[in-house]
Amino acid sequence: MRQAGTYSGMVISGKTGPHLLPLARIKKIMKKSGEEVKMISGESPIVFSKACELFIKELTQRSWMVTIKGKTRTLSKEDVASAVLATDLFDFLLNLVSQSAPAPLHPKPPN
Amino acid sequence: MVDEQNRTLPIANVGRIMKQILPPSAKLSLEAKQRMQECATEFISFVTSEASDKCHRENRKTMTGDDICRALSALGLDNYAGAIVRYLHKYREAERERVIASQNKATSSSRDEDIEESDQSGQPSLQADETPTPLMNIFI
Repeated sequence: MRQAGTYSGMVISGKTGPHLLPLARIKKIMKKSGEEVKMISGESPIVFSKACELFIKELTQRSWMVTIKGKTRTLSKEDVASAVLATDLFDFLLNLVSQSAPAPLHPKPPN
Repeated sequence: MVDEQNRTLPIANVGRIMKQILPPSAKLSLEAKQRMQECATEFISFVTSEASDKCHRENRKTMTGDDICRALSALGLDNYAGAIVRYLHKYREAERERVIASQNKATSSSRDEDIEESDQSGQPSLQADETPTPLMNIFI
């Protein structure tokens, strides 16, 4: 039986349930990332739920900085691409966003 | 929208997280949410690969939360690594409390006030316990 007070007091953001992202989906994505990924401890998807939340918030914030420079109030996919280009840490996403980057640096990758 | 046949994170959840950080008047295009959905999914794959390589090199079969923290550091994402180490520590503490509570319930019901006290201690120690106890390795 879930001890709601113990756990939710720690991780609840106040609005949604204990986790902002579904653990089963995270686990599926982890397993798909490589054939060597076999066993995953129970805490791993929970850790990723938090890590993804931090990642999404950071990339969103950086994208929004690009949006407001353009004097609009709508965050577009080009703004996300610009934020990725401007952040070295997000180099692993370059291929993913290059399709919508304002100045594509490499050819469109096959999907 | 089938979220790329369940290969990406759900767009509704991603959109909700994005809105948490944006001002109330901000608008979010559908394509921006889709792009973020793909980026977050790639983030998981990228970090998991790094963690998995390390496990493989060390002949360990099970990836743990500690492996993910180390992978975040190795990939230059130190700011996330620090926050996640603290989060993992709090999670493990909460799990310990939960297990102790359910064990105590099997014998007596007089320990309920202990659970409530641990709820209120919102100041976790920053010394992350890096060796998970056997209780923590709940295999999925």
